[in-house]
Amino acid sequence: MIDFQGYGWRLLDGALLTAELAALSLVLALVLGLVVASIKLSRSYALRGLALVYTTVIRGVPDLVMMMLLFYGGQIGVNMVVDQINAWAGTEIFIYVNAFAAGVITLGVIYGAYMSETFRGAFLAVDAGQMEAARAYGMSGWLAFRRVRFPLMMRHALPGINNNWMVLLKSTALVSIIGLSDMVRIADQATKATHEPFLFMVPVGLGYLAITGVSELAVGWLRRRYDTGFEGAA
Amino acid sequence: MRHCEGDATRMGDNAIPLVVRDLHKSFNNVSVLEGLSLEAHEGDVISLIGASGSGKSTFLRCMNLLEIPNAGEIAVHGETVNFRTRRGKREPADWKQVERIRARLAMVFQGFNLWAHMTLIGNVIEAPIHVLGKSKKEAREQGMALLERVGLAERAEYFPAQLSGGQQQRGAIARALAMDPEVMLFDEPTSALDPELVGDVLKVMRGLADEGRTMVVVTHEMDFARDVSSQVIYLHQGRVEEAGHPENVFGNPNSDRLRQFLGPRF
Amino acid sequence: MEQWLAHVAPFLSNNDIFTPATLAVYWDGLVNTVQLVFISLAIGIVLAVPLSIGRMATWWISTPIWIYTYVFRGTPLLIQLYIAYYGFAFVPGVQESWFAFFINNPLYPALLSFALNTGAYTTEIFYGAIRATPRGELEAARAYGMSSFTAYRRVVLPSALRRALPAYGNEVIFMLHASAIASTVTITDLTGAAYYVYARFYSPFPAFIFVACVYMVLSFVIQGGFRLAEKRLLRHLQPA
Repeated sequence: MIDFQGYGWRLLDGALLTAELAALSLVLALVLGLVVASIKLSRSYALRGLALVYTTVIRGVPDLVMMMLLFYGGQIGVNMVVDQINAWAGTEIFIYVNAFAAGVITLGVIYGAYMSETFRGAFLAVDAGQMEAARAYGMSGWLAFRRVRFPLMMRHALPGINNNWMVLLKSTALVSIIGLSDMVRIADQATKATHEPFLFMVPVGLGYLAITGVSELAVGWLRRRYDTGFEGAA
Repeated sequence: MRHCEGDATRMGDNAIPLVVRDLHKSFNNVSVLEGLSLEAHEGDVISLIGASGSGKSTFLRCMNLLEIPNAGEIAVHGETVNFRTRRGKREPADWKQVERIRARLAMVFQGFNLWAHMTLIGNVIEAPIHVLGKSKKEAREQGMALLERVGLAERAEYFPAQLSGGQQQRGAIARALAMDPEVMLFDEPTSALDPELVGDVLKVMRGLADEGRTMVVVTHEMDFARDVSSQVIYLHQGRVEEAGHPENVFGNPNSDRLRQFLGPRF
Repeated sequence: MEQWLAHVAPFLSNNDIFTPATLAVYWDGLVNTVQLVFISLAIGIVLAVPLSIGRMATWWISTPIWIYTYVFRGTPLLIQLYIAYYGFAFVPGVQESWFAFFINNPLYPALLSFALNTGAYTTEIFYGAIRATPRGELEAARAYGMSSFTAYRRVVLPSALRRALPAYGNEVIFMLHASAIASTVTITDLTGAAYYVYARFYSPFPAFIFVACVYMVLSFVIQGGFRLAEKRLLRHLQPA
């Protein structure tokens, strides 16, 4: 049995945190992605412009820099705002920016931009006739979206979503740099303490491969579900 | 515009299945429909014929408001569609009314437009369940009966991609029938089909006409128009060039353009 | 650079974040980033061309390659960097050996891990492009008597590499962004420079926003460059 020199359980805790972080960020990214994609396909120039700025900035700046900006800058920004409120209202509030929340929000905002491009392309790929038939049969906008446009769009979106998810998963390692105790940070601390880099880094790498493997199964199931009706043809 | 003389007594205006008055429609300042009107009485089969670009599909699509006319009135069994002007553009005043009206008219498309991710029977029961509020059991029973009628009962669990064009279109007709529509609208239903498959679809449509369905059909199939319609309307550049009973329109066309359009056979 | 900074210094004297000293730090960071990214990408391509061809070969050649790409694409770059950085440092006796240069300058472990990482991704990109080559082109080459080697050299690779341009452009941008991680092992790249300024003046916004803008400009330049290259080299695939 491999001796993790007492770091074993903490590594597992870290792995759990990584998984939670990744899952929550994914949810946020998907929601943001859908919203922004809808904005990009809407008719308002102003909103479309905002969305374009959002995606352009995110795709031009490294994840780590965004994370540092939002994390270090975030705490100071919140402080500034709260100081103003304190000065104005005479209160003495201090809001701690929770590192985990900062991590989720950062990753969600970053990958929301990538997801929005995926969703946008997927929406455009749906044959217009399908929605036309839905409207012609008296379906309301929301019903038609829910029963026709969304399922058909997901089929086109899944490969892109999967790719983005893979990148997001690996980006969770960066939160170790801003102080979250995910498994990379634990491994880093353990390495520095015990001088055994491979003992800790290799299992962590395997941990990522394992999470990847599990998610491939899940994505495979989703793919089969959204591909119904399209086997072989089209 | 003339419509047929000598037919059975007309009922009052408020019970005519579909009345369209003086429709105008432009796309980007190009006028496509110039004051078109139509009355579809119970059991009428009206064929709209004309060259490409004559406006026939646009005219049809205005009837169920897939296109919004710039001027003109549309009424289904007496219920007039309410419009209003917003920011200089005309739009329906109440989209819920539009959805209701669309549910009472059923459209069959040139490209079939069956929902690709649902089976054939799934397509047929989708709108009855989610728009008309029928129970799944009831919709399925009715759906299977309709598929039986168009000859596709064994393919009920097939997906559209696994069916031929003719089968898809017949399935689309079953889907339309499932809404128990007051008027059926057909937008060039056979134009996208290989010639061998056209006959099956036309056969189904003749059957519908025989049982007294009210239908408005945009078509290039002149034989169908002549044999099955109660009225033929020939459009040219957004106007009615000639209209009337098929015998008159096909047998004795007044307009030179129509004569040319029909060619030597007629 | 120093001359230019001295020239510009008077304009900057009324703020203490963008002083010549800090601008010099940013400049060093930029230079380091560009060098790091460029050299890693170069090594990556050199690795990827033979490996991507090997990926098409029999199982005992293609499987190890597949394992390499799977592992390096499936684990975070940060882990790979840490392993390269710490892995050799703690080997007993390494300090005195010839290998000491590697562990004494963090740039080497960074280069190693970055090069292997981009090598893996690039191998997959080229492999995909080679596989997508229309079979007819290769058949024609063979039919005209070309050996495998010549066929690859004159027909398959030029075609595949051109087709890989868009995807490779993305990879270059990814590498640029990923290089920010080098700052975690005490390399003063662009991000390291920003962190230094932040830590020194306790003002995150000017430091990180400035660096973010520099990265954005770099990204746009690279994207623009690739679009130009695609226009010229992929003209044969444009619609008429």
